Parts: sequence; structure tokens; C-alpha cells
Amino acid sequence: MATIARTSVKATHRSWRLPRVRHVGHFLVYFLLILGLSVTLTPFAWMILGSFKTATEIIQTPPTFWPENPTLDNYRTIVQDPRLPLLRFYGNSAFVTITNVITTLFTSSLLGFLFAKYEFRGKRLLFGWFLLTMMIPGQMTMIPGYLILAKVGLLNTLWGLIVFSALDAFGIFMLRQFIETLPNELLDAARIDGASEWQIYWRIVLPQLGPALATLGTLSFMGNWNAYLWPMVVITRLERRTLPIILTWYSTQHTTRPNIVMAATVLIVIPILFVYFFFQRWIVKGIALTGFK
Amino acid sequence: MSAQASNPKKRRGGLAVAQHRFVLGVTVPMILYGSIGVLTIGWAMVLMFFKYSPGRAGGSILGLGGSNPFVGLEHFRNMISGVSLEARLFRTSLKNTLIFAFAVLPLNLAITLPLAALIESVRSRLKIAFRAIYFLPVVTSSVGVAMMWGYLYDPQQGLLNAIIRLLGGTPISWLSDPRAEFLGVSVAMWAVIGAYLWQDYGYNLVIFIAALQSIPREFKEAAMIDGANGWQVFTRVTIPLLRPTLLFVCVMTMLSSFQVFDIIQVMTDGGPNHQTRVLVLDIYDNAFRYQRMGWAAAVSFVLVVIVMIVTLVQMRLLRTEWEY
Repeated sequence: MATIARTSVKATHRSWRLPRVRHVGHFLVYFLLILGLSVTLTPFAWMILGSFKTATEIIQTPPTFWPENPTLDNYRTIVQDPRLPLLRFYGNSAFVTITNVITTLFTSSLLGFLFAKYEFRGKRLLFGWFLLTMMIPGQMTMIPGYLILAKVGLLNTLWGLIVFSALDAFGIFMLRQFIETLPNELLDAARIDGASEWQIYWRIVLPQLGPALATLGTLSFMGNWNAYLWPMVVITRLERRTLPIILTWYSTQHTTRPNIVMAATVLIVIPILFVYFFFQRWIVKGIALTGFK
Repeated sequence: MSAQASNPKKRRGGLAVAQHRFVLGVTVPMILYGSIGVLTIGWAMVLMFFKYSPGRAGGSILGLGGSNPFVGLEHFRNMISGVSLEARLFRTSLKNTLIFAFAVLPLNLAITLPLAALIESVRSRLKIAFRAIYFLPVVTSSVGVAMMWGYLYDPQQGLLNAIIRLLGGTPISWLSDPRAEFLGVSVAMWAVIGAYLWQDYGYNLVIFIAALQSIPREFKEAAMIDGANGWQVFTRVTIPLLRPTLLFVCVMTMLSSFQVFDIIQVMTDGGPNHQTRVLVLDIYDNAFRYQRMGWAAAVSFVLVVIVMIVTLVQMRLLRTEWEY
């Protein structure tokens, strides 16, 4: 309806120009959007195509765009490289990421519930303290964090990537906002039925949080899976590394064989893109709602 | 029935006790755990007044004192006027960080805002597809992004120079020529800015699209009826209505670009000739390559102060926004 109304308004104004302008305008819009798309996709394409090129083709100047003799050798080399037990690194990344996501979801929902639905002394102070820690960038706490891990012997362990990550101020903040919208009557009804506070959290509040948990979970997943600086600080032993730091290490081992490094990059980048396509709408919704990374 | 009616107070009291216990049961462990965070912040604030290296034994408390001496504000004096290598590198890093952040912000807005308006103007199914694809680089690990762009920038086999050659230009050593510059900023810096922008634009794009969707259609229609063309509607109606979002986006973009590390560390490691060395890289290098942790803590404090100032300015601006 609205479109029809708009067109007719326009038509009365300058009906003789309308068709042409609309046409050119649309053409331009799609042209720009597709130009943007190709800018977005070209680096991926370059890497993926490069990963199928042979050793001689990859060092050719000028380079080819499409592989002339597409080959899977690069992937074979990586998978068979005994120094690069890929599954182990996927395992390391998955272990750290999943542990951190689960603890973040648990603590954020529990504390979000607490801050949203309970009154107690010092609540505002405590909440303000959390917001403050959210503002302190990790680069400042990185050095003492490293020294603490060294003291307690957690350097070079995957636990070193986990112990400081149990509380996420952003997650608490976000879930508090969400839980505040749940009706108090729901909780009181459960209390009258004899539910304990923990049961209310577990049986009443948590099941209502589905979308919010999905959003927080995916954002936290991305952050942990792609983390680079902190894992690089904590872990120097090869077999404990996570995917991003193994990728940079691998590229320094094969500076003259970019086709192999490209294949490694594909193997490390692509899984997260699948996760993204699966959870796409949660991420987009979450960012649009909260505007936080 | 009668038991309940006769004893409502006690019952509520019982509930309050249960709730009280729950609050304690949650907050006490949380505060204990959270105090680790306070400890690390406090420790960093202490470290910056010492010359500290974890390799030296030092005094009894946290290894401070002794061979890790207290130097007071010396680090900060050095940052301002010192001639030592680390002092000069700090000033270079600070300058580069500012260049980076102040170049990224306008470029990012110049890409994301019009692009969001364009995406918003197409059919809804295509809109979702566009948005999803434009967002892909955001979820890609920044190390992966840095690797990909490293290959695009490769002087011999890179795509960019292949295009330049095709158009008859001279190839450029994007990441390694210390003398190449454009608009007074080194080409290597522009190159990392390019990769960073590419990774980041999808993020602001999503925020802008959401904000554009929330603007009531009637406003634009009213302007159209009054004879405004598309461009006028965009600049006079849409942008003013987007102001709160714009402010927010500006600050978030600023904050994250002050903290840039991954892409630069992988692509150039601060080179050539320290032209892309930024503050976080400076902190990392000093703390973990050269074990100058006191100095690094002082640099990180400067970074935190900058970040705090930007955040406070944001809060002030947003508050005035709410008031009217």
C-alpha cells in the first residue's frame, strides 16, 4: 500500500521523469551493492583459489586468478604433516571455546538474574564495579594476568586461557536487561508452589532466555575461537596452541610456499563461517540490539 | 488454608531468608573470583612505577624492589621526553595509533553509512542476503584476515599488484617499502588500515541497518511529499535521526581501533621501520619479548587513559542526546 501511495505522489510531481530515474537509480544501487559484495568476497576467493594452485603456479608473476591445474596436494600436505596434528589444535580451540562459552552463559544468566530480580545491600555498587571492569581493556590486565599464571603454574596450559574468563561484564549486563522484562508474577507463582531460588533460576528463568543465550553464546564463541593476543602470551608450547596461533606459526614455517599456508588458512577460517551461517540471525540480532562486540 | 492465613508474616519471612541465602550464595563466590580482576588491575598500577622484569629475582613482595627497583614516575617522564629507544618507539606507537584510529573512523563511516542506506533500500530477502555476506569478514578470525590480505598485498604474486600491472601502473611494495607514502602517511599504514576496514565494516553496517529500519517511514514520505529528493531525504531526515546511533558507532569504532593488534602484528609486525607500530604491539613487545614489564604496564596505563577519555566523552555526548 505504502509503495503505491508513494509512487503516485511522485508521479503527480514529475511524471515525465519518473520511469527513467527509477530505472537508472535502481541500476546504480545494485551496481554499488554488487561492487561492495565483490570487495567483500574477493579476499576469500583469492585465498580459496590459491589453496588449489600448484607450487609452481603460486610463485608465478603475474599471478593467475583461476588455478590452471587445480590440485588437492596442499591439503594433503597439511593433513599428513606429522608436525601439525590439526585435530589436536581444533580440539584445543574447541575445548577452550566451549568451556568459556558455557561458563559465560552460566555466570551471566545467574548474575543477570540476581541483578534484575533481587534487592540487596551493595547491589548498585557491585553492578557499577562490573561496568567499570568492562571498561578496562584487557591489555592492562594482561601483564599481571601472565605473572599470576606463571606463579600458579598455569602458563602453557589451556586452563590458562580459561581461568580469567568466567565472568563477562557485558554478558551480565545484557542478560540483566533481558531478565528484567520477565514478569515477577511468574517467579512468585513458582515460589508459592514451593520452588527454591535455584529451581526458579534453573526451571523458570533459564528456559525463558533462549534467544538471549543464543546471541550471547555465539558472540562469546566467536570471540574465544578467534582470540589471538592472550593465547599467544599464555601458550608457547606447540602442542597446546589454539588455531589462530598455530596458523601464524605455520606461515612462518612455510614462507616460500604460500599455497600451503593458504590451504591452512582455509581449514582454519572456514569452520567458523559455517557456525556463522547457522547462527547468523542471532549474531546480527545481538549486535543490532546491543551494539557490542 | 487457615495455617496460611494465620501465618502470612512467617511465610514471607521464610521466603526472604531463602532469597537472602541465594543472594549470598551467588555473590560471595562471585566477589571472591572478581577480586582477581581487581588484583590484576591493582598490580598493573603498581608495576608501572617499577623497573620490573620477571627474570630478575627482586624483592619479597611480588618480586618488586631489589633488582626490580622503584622508579616513581620515571617511565612517564621518559615517555614524554626520553631519548632511549623504547621512549622513541612509544611516541611512534602513540602517533601511529592516533593516525590509525582517526583514519579508520571517517573511512569506516564513509563506507558503512551509504552502504547501509543502499542495502536498506532493496527488497527484504536480498537485504538479508547482502547483510549476511557483508558480515562474513567480521566473524573471520583477524589472523585469517591478516593472512588473506597479506597475499593480496604480496608485491610479486599479489592480486592488487596484478591489477595495477594490468592497468599499466608500477607495482607497489605495500607492506615493506619504508619510503612509500600517501597523504603523508606510509603506504604500509594505509595497507593495514585497508585490511582492518574490510574486516570491520560489516559490524557497523548491521548497526546502521537496524537503526535505519527503526526510522518511521512517514518521516521520509513527508519529506518526499514536500519535494525533497532521495539525497536530501538522506542528509536532512535520515542522518539527523541517526545521530544517537552515529555517536555510539563512532565511539565503539574508535575504541576498537585504539586497541588494534592482531592484524598489524601478523601483517607487518610494526614494520617497515616501525611505521605501523601501534600501542598494543608496543605493550606486547616490551612485556613479552623484552621482559620490560614495568615499562609495558606504564604504556598500557596510557592506553587505558585514552580509552577512558573516549568512553567518558561518549557518555557525555549520549547524555546530552537523551536530554533533548
